[in-house]
Amino acid sequence: MNKRLRDIIRKARPHWRLNGRLINYYWQRTKRNKLAVFGLGFIIFLVLLAAIGPFFTPDPTAVNFEEKNIPPLGFTIEQSIYNIETNDFTTKEIHGSRSHPLGTDSTGRDMLAMIVSGARVSLLVGLIATGIAIILGTIIGVLSAYTGGWVDNALMRFTDVMMTFPFFLLLVLMVFIFGPSLPLIVLVIGLTGWTGTARLIRSESLSLRTREFVVAAKALGASDNRVIFRHLIPNVISLIIVMATLSIPGVIIAEAALSFIGLYDPIVISWGKILESGQHSLDTAWWVAVEPGIILFLTVLAFNFLGDGLRDAFDPKSNI
Amino acid sequence: MTPRATFRKINMDNVILKVSDLKTYFFTSRGIVKAVDGVEFELRRGECLCLVGESGCGKTVTALSILRLFDSPPGKIVGGQIRYDSLDLAECSTRQLRQIRGKDIAIVFQEAQSALNPVLTIGDQIIEQIKLHLPLDYGRARDRAITLLSEMGIPSAEGAMSYYPHQLSGGMKQRVLIAMSLSCDPQILIADEPTTAVDVTIKAQILDIFRELKTRRQMSTIFITHDLAVVAEIGDRAVVMYGGKDVETAPVSEIISNPKHPYTSGLIECLPDVSKNTDRLASIPGTTPNPLEMPQGCAFHPRCPKAMKICKQQEPSEIIISKEHKVSCHLYT
Amino acid sequence: MKNKLNNKLLQIRNLKKYYPVTAGFFSRHIGDIKAVDGVTFDISEREIIGLVGESGCGKSTLGKTIPRLEEPTSGQILYKRSDVTKLDKKGLGELRREIQIIFQDPDASLDPRMTVGDSICEPLIVHNIGNEKKRMERVAELMEQVGLEARQANMYPHEFSGGQKQRIGIARALAMNPKLIIADEPVSALDVSIQAQILNLMMDIQERLGLAYLFIAHDLAVIKHMAHRVAIMYLGKIVELADKKEIFENPLHPYTEALLSAVPSFKPKDKDRILLRGDVPSPLNPPPGCHFHPRCHRILPICNQQEPELAEVSKGHFVACHLYR
Repeated sequence: MNKRLRDIIRKARPHWRLNGRLINYYWQRTKRNKLAVFGLGFIIFLVLLAAIGPFFTPDPTAVNFEEKNIPPLGFTIEQSIYNIETNDFTTKEIHGSRSHPLGTDSTGRDMLAMIVSGARVSLLVGLIATGIAIILGTIIGVLSAYTGGWVDNALMRFTDVMMTFPFFLLLVLMVFIFGPSLPLIVLVIGLTGWTGTARLIRSESLSLRTREFVVAAKALGASDNRVIFRHLIPNVISLIIVMATLSIPGVIIAEAALSFIGLYDPIVISWGKILESGQHSLDTAWWVAVEPGIILFLTVLAFNFLGDGLRDAFDPKSNI
Repeated sequence: MTPRATFRKINMDNVILKVSDLKTYFFTSRGIVKAVDGVEFELRRGECLCLVGESGCGKTVTALSILRLFDSPPGKIVGGQIRYDSLDLAECSTRQLRQIRGKDIAIVFQEAQSALNPVLTIGDQIIEQIKLHLPLDYGRARDRAITLLSEMGIPSAEGAMSYYPHQLSGGMKQRVLIAMSLSCDPQILIADEPTTAVDVTIKAQILDIFRELKTRRQMSTIFITHDLAVVAEIGDRAVVMYGGKDVETAPVSEIISNPKHPYTSGLIECLPDVSKNTDRLASIPGTTPNPLEMPQGCAFHPRCPKAMKICKQQEPSEIIISKEHKVSCHLYT
Repeated sequence: MKNKLNNKLLQIRNLKKYYPVTAGFFSRHIGDIKAVDGVTFDISEREIIGLVGESGCGKSTLGKTIPRLEEPTSGQILYKRSDVTKLDKKGLGELRREIQIIFQDPDASLDPRMTVGDSICEPLIVHNIGNEKKRMERVAELMEQVGLEARQANMYPHEFSGGQKQRIGIARALAMNPKLIIADEPVSALDVSIQAQILNLMMDIQERLGLAYLFIAHDLAVIKHMAHRVAIMYLGKIVELADKKEIFENPLHPYTEALLSAVPSFKPKDKDRILLRGDVPSPLNPPPGCHFHPRCHRILPICNQQEPELAEVSKGHFVACHLYR
């Protein structure tokens, strides 16, 4: 690398002494919001579940027809079993047991194991797809805001087009061409979900550009590079964090919804897939649909609470 | 009855609003903010009473408390009385308060641009206020609005009715606000720093309007400002506030020529005044106190050039210097 | 304040800054906002020039155009005899070391995500001065100069009061040892008692470091304490320019008279207050002839036809008014 390039990078390199005091300040403000704390707690629980849960639960793919349709612990259900010999239905009471605390599905797979495995999938999908969308959106937004002119115009029109793009159709097309696979789904969600972020980041950057401290930086001779990296981006990061936190639940739901209608990766167990398999047996084994539903609901709620709490904490005008 | 006693009695009858030991606290997650902590004053008919103080002293919250316009989850009137007519505004019901707001007691806010609804014409906004309180039909309400606007010096008032706020200049917007507040002929007008955010020449025009209000309509006004020069121009009596309390109350001429409280004299001295000729400005050291961490004893003692030992320990009580002049300061006990 | 024959630091000749206004689908150019419309004056070393005018008169724009934060439309800005308008990037960088700005809103002029120490030493980093250790020392020195403690350098702007934030802004402006500071309404957003502190600080610094100020304000009373010479601006033009004493005791332009009489004061007025009619007209469509004529209380027939030029009426006292031709 020649000297000039090195100079530019050195000057632009963010001296982000992530000062503990600044982080602590925002953390204190977030802590005051009880819902946000609950949200964070739940997310941490979920992460732990996804990380170490699989070591404590049986194999989610273990099919066991002897133990199919067992209700969760504490519930009892009457099953009618067709007895070949007597040509009649006999009703049997089945109780939930500790070996399958959340019950089993119609092929005998342990529900808890499946949900734990699904947690992994949902979190990964959420994080990666959101990551792609946010990074893409931020780059486009900041670039657009700072360059202005025809570049800004072109990028924004491109964003408009992408916004109206039926991502669902694109997904179906991709699945048709390449076959269903989780990475493909993640990629498509990420590549179509950046538009909202781009617009927001752009408008925030535009307003930051005229804020006095940016003008002050220019007034003392800072280069454009330095202004972007040292001033614009750190002030936009809070927006990015909030957007990311609030986008993750949307992505998780998107993946669940896709699985629900059948666009899922057959190798992978995700909450949506469990939901899909449970929709047909709502009368005989309601827990197969209800359990993933509950945990999806709680996860989305948790991320939304946390996102709201973070947004209020970062906003200097909200008096927390 | 001796003439002096009669005079005193008449003065007392002239009191149109009496605030006694008002306490408005804000209960936030970081602690209790005692925005108003025992404020006492009375407003007499036809006079212009100025609440003077810097930011954070509680003067705006005092004004908002009179009409209970602050956000009620964090804020609450925890003590004191606000006597108007036969009501105690601190205790009365919201319904009663709503009848008084705008009709008996009107308030003009500081930021004219945020006090006006940007998507309604100013005509609509004035008429809305009129019809809320007076039993007039649309046509008559409109006429009344036009009369008010021209009284405020807005040129071609009839055409101006269909303007949107963004089409008006700052001075015009402030005048529209004042017109709106007068639309139902209130007894009391509360003006919250109406001249702070405007240029000097517009300031002069607005002060002129307030002077006219006093002479022509005998309007009783509570004028909130941090600018002692404005007080000197337009006020009859002044209440100087600091740290949520009233520290000195006196007629304006007394306050200017014979200030008793060190804060008042400090404020007067550090005013950059065109008629003064000094090289260096006097100033009050330190900053206004953080409402969450009020100093012990007298709130002003950290910045007071005449602070004594007792000032750190005990809050000063009110001393009556003369009939119209009271101070809260240990210097005079 | 003796007026030594100081060197001329800044010479502005017929400076104009227009903002084009476009309309219609094809963005046709239909007019200009003439924010700064032909301004000429000088600033010498160690001189404090007060620039007074109401909102919309262009004083802030002028303040931003001088160091080319806004590109001038035409005219000359000579700083120490080199034309600022023609400087390249490198030259502009060096200019930025000598001309600094203090902003109006202390809340908005500091980056909320940087410690104040970082904010103050940013100019040093940008211009590659010293090393880490020397910069820390300089920051400490500057903070003490403006009346703060060096250990506060690691705190964030939100932990300071308005007056303290303004002090930090001043410290940042002083970091590069500038020769000229453009102060854009530095005390308007502060309480009265704090205003006095900051003004005293600025005067101390000016004396000690031998700085020149372009002090932009709308409050004549503040100017009276600070300035050596005063310029009055109206709708993009300077209408009067004179020594402070002259302006306050012998104002010539009707607008200056109105400004002076509009200031609320303790002393009762000897003559009636001059109340200007109407509001400041829009800079997009200024009145013909003298821009001030619709509001002028001493108007002559010629005033709505011809624009008056800024001319020297007595020694050092310039006015742009037909009354004095």
